[in-house]
Amino acid sequence: MKQHLGRQSGVQTVEVSLIDGKVEVTPKEDGQIDPAQLLKATYDSGVTAAEMDMTARGKIVKDSSGNFALQVEPNRSFALTPNELSKGLEALVDTPTMVTVRGQLYKKPAGKKKADASAPLKLLILEVQKKE
Amino acid sequence: MNTKKLALLALLVSIASPVAQAQIKHIEMRVEGMT
Repeated sequence: MKQHLGRQSGVQTVEVSLIDGKVEVTPKEDGQIDPAQLLKATYDSGVTAAEMDMTARGKIVKDSSGNFALQVEPNRSFALTPNELSKGLEALVDTPTMVTVRGQLYKKPAGKKKADASAPLKLLILEVQKKE
Repeated sequence: MNTKKLALLALLVSIASPVAQAQIKHIEMRVEGMT
């Protein structure tokens, strides 16, 4: 799986811990990494992803459907799952303020062996680390 | 002339840098069934 993920676009390093089932991915600075593609590559390598967390820096924007989103690249943004932390960031929409957040992009639904990997990933903010 | 070019360059860098710094910094997954 380490080699499989390491071949994905935008991936710099992959660290796998067999003991606790953790996989840490460090992206390259080229902005090409695609979490949805990583999730798919994980399934393709024969293991089940239970959870995916991401730390990212970006701007709060409103997408075409009127939902708040974190824009991490000019052409890549993640819709925010509403919670108290995301509400606190809504005032920053379309301002130049950059936020660094840690959040959950994916969690395997309880009782299902495999979730729909083609569903768009939504970001549930767990921690706002920085506003600048 | 050079001063003007430098000022323009500094302006462009200051405008472009916040967008350039937006990025995914780290991804962590918990997986099941790994051997």
